[in-house]
Amino acid sequence: MTGTEGPGAATNIKRRPKAWEYMKDFAFALPALAMLLIFIYYPLVNSFYLSFTNWNMTRPNKEFIGLDNYEKLLTGDTFYKVLGITFTYTVFDVLLTLGIGLMLALLFNVTSRFFNFMRSVIFMPHYISMVIVSMVFLWIFNSQYGLMNELLKFLGLEPVDWLTNPKTALWVLIVVSVWKGVGFAMIIFIAGLRGIPLEYYEASSIDGASKWTQFRKITLPLLSPITLFLVVTNFISSMQVFQSVDVMTNGGPLESTKAMVYWIYEMAFAEFRTGRASALIIMFFIMIVLLTVLQMYVSRKKSITKGRFISKCLHP
Amino acid sequence: MNKIKKALSVLAVSGMAFASILGCSGSGGSSSSGDILDAEEAAQDTTPITIQYWHSHAEAQLEGLDYMLAEFHKKYPHITVEPVFQGAYVDLHKKLQAAVAAKEVPAVTNVEVSVLPNFADSGVFADLTPYIERDQVDLNDFSQGMLQAYAYNGKQYGLPLIVSTSVFIYNKTLLDELGVEPPQTWDDIEAYNQKVALKEGGQTTRYAFSVPGWDTWYYDPWISNGGGSILNEDMTASTLDQPDSLRWIQNFYKWLQDGSLHMGFGKGASGDMRTMFLEGKIAMVQHTSAVIKTYLESANFEVGVSFIPGDKERKSHIGGAGIVLMEGADAREKEAGWKFIEFMTSAEHNINWAEKVGYLPTRKSAIESEEGKQYFERQPQYRTVFEHFDDVAPRLQHPAYPEFSEKYKEVVGEMILNGKDPTSLMPEAVKQINDILSDY
Repeated sequence: MTGTEGPGAATNIKRRPKAWEYMKDFAFALPALAMLLIFIYYPLVNSFYLSFTNWNMTRPNKEFIGLDNYEKLLTGDTFYKVLGITFTYTVFDVLLTLGIGLMLALLFNVTSRFFNFMRSVIFMPHYISMVIVSMVFLWIFNSQYGLMNELLKFLGLEPVDWLTNPKTALWVLIVVSVWKGVGFAMIIFIAGLRGIPLEYYEASSIDGASKWTQFRKITLPLLSPITLFLVVTNFISSMQVFQSVDVMTNGGPLESTKAMVYWIYEMAFAEFRTGRASALIIMFFIMIVLLTVLQMYVSRKKSITKGRFISKCLHP
Repeated sequence: MNKIKKALSVLAVSGMAFASILGCSGSGGSSSSGDILDAEEAAQDTTPITIQYWHSHAEAQLEGLDYMLAEFHKKYPHITVEPVFQGAYVDLHKKLQAAVAAKEVPAVTNVEVSVLPNFADSGVFADLTPYIERDQVDLNDFSQGMLQAYAYNGKQYGLPLIVSTSVFIYNKTLLDELGVEPPQTWDDIEAYNQKVALKEGGQTTRYAFSVPGWDTWYYDPWISNGGGSILNEDMTASTLDQPDSLRWIQNFYKWLQDGSLHMGFGKGASGDMRTMFLEGKIAMVQHTSAVIKTYLESANFEVGVSFIPGDKERKSHIGGAGIVLMEGADAREKEAGWKFIEFMTSAEHNINWAEKVGYLPTRKSAIESEEGKQYFERQPQYRTVFEHFDDVAPRLQHPAYPEFSEKYKEVVGEMILNGKDPTSLMPEAVKQINDILSDY
């Protein structure tokens, strides 16, 4: 599409009708767009339709029941409980992943053989499938023969029923996610750190700025586009946590780890309530979109007001 | 700008056309649920046919399945059965749901016993009665409880294939040493607990027995054995807060409090219970008969098996899966599918199949046969189960069971994990269950 708008393209193919050009451009995008249509947009629209029915996926006809599904969900307690769990998980997951990721980035942002090696070690979990990670941690946190409890016993502490205790299970899931996600955050942060011109640090240290001041006044603000990217992507994936819940806890014990997507799954496939699960999908979808837009809005505003000169440096 | 919009709309239309083409191509399996062939026609038709059998037979059962498939092919050379492993029951059900929605179903499938009503309610499974009558299958030869578990609203939708029931598996070496027998009635339990449970400074070091809290399948029979019920007669409301329906959980609460009963809850609790039993920390565990074999292999003491104790009645519930015919398959596929179902559940191969997969035989004639006697000589632990062959009862059949059973399971969880008194929690659970029932 952009080809026809640019100055070069306009002179080269002046004689051809513009509509034809548009069609040609679209033809190239068609396979990708068709995939999107079939696997993303069509299911989304269809879910929207299903959310007004009481379909159970096996019944031949779908009965239209209006807003009944939405009403049942919004008036029940479970929705709010599940939302609370999902947010708790997301907030701590994002904070810890980014916090630790940034610390590691600052620590390992030095080119040497050892640090290169350490970076790859920390990044490694990113490659491993979440299901496998969950299986391994299931064993580590087993209350009878898990590594974690062996460690506690060695230190003379009482063993903990990590995954069968409603108070600790969610934290185990957060730990797993942080362990897996921290390497990726670190790599992206390092890329961001290397994009900050060293002159700022030199100039500020001549002015007598301490390391801490440099970190607050130079590093953090200049990293903000990177941080925004990480917050948004991590936020969306955390909100959709599923695999670790499915493998490690099944939403239990006592629904203490019942995150939104797992609840949707359970409702659709174990309780045979496809219609209501679709309503939940739609509500959850809207919620994530709104929150993401809000995040973008808030942080964009912030980064503009805070450092006008910075954006000039980044895009000269 | 306008042109872009136009182009976009062209794209959208072409995309939709593409989607609808894809959608149409999938509607091969048309259903023709007319009358079935008569016996003679059915026997004569030997045009080759291939049908799919969707199953959840895990690794350990594949040898048995291969054997059965080979035997079946010998008997009906024109029918080829393609076994398709679809994962655990939950995954199988998920795929079945999708297959039904796509109108592209296998001829024969497994179904876990508790969700039969959900599928049968929607007309997904074929009623086997016409086939059973035509081929004169003697239903009286099946354990009646196991058979009923696969009937719903008066129709026989399937036959029992992979049958288990929950039993007490006990440390025989230990109980012999202590000179106690596993309890046969609820009245025996107190005395049994006194003799078996070991406590040191307020801490239990050896539990008398364990009842799994993670699956309602284990305590549902306790509810009815105590004279109670989960739902009322016409299944419109829950009766779990009635005095008789509370006896089981009040007993559990008492025994949990005095430290003689162990109850596991949540994921991984099953493995923990097994480890504790094998380490001698629990003297007796209620578990599925499907794992008797595992216990026998891994225990370094003698293992005994006992039917769960009763009070007002003495039943245990059926578990595992049945084999069913899909209504959406075409008539010839169904005919072949029925032959396969009949073969898989036949008395002829019953013992062999049960022993190979580690589940229970379902046929009276098979148990009483010479082969059956040899089976019990090889597996004496199973004998106690078969003394109660007709007491293996179907579970509560209701399409909302998977959903509402979570509610009283939560009460059990609160009792186990947080030490809460179940009697005070049950009314709230009953309210929630009734709320769910009002949708049906």
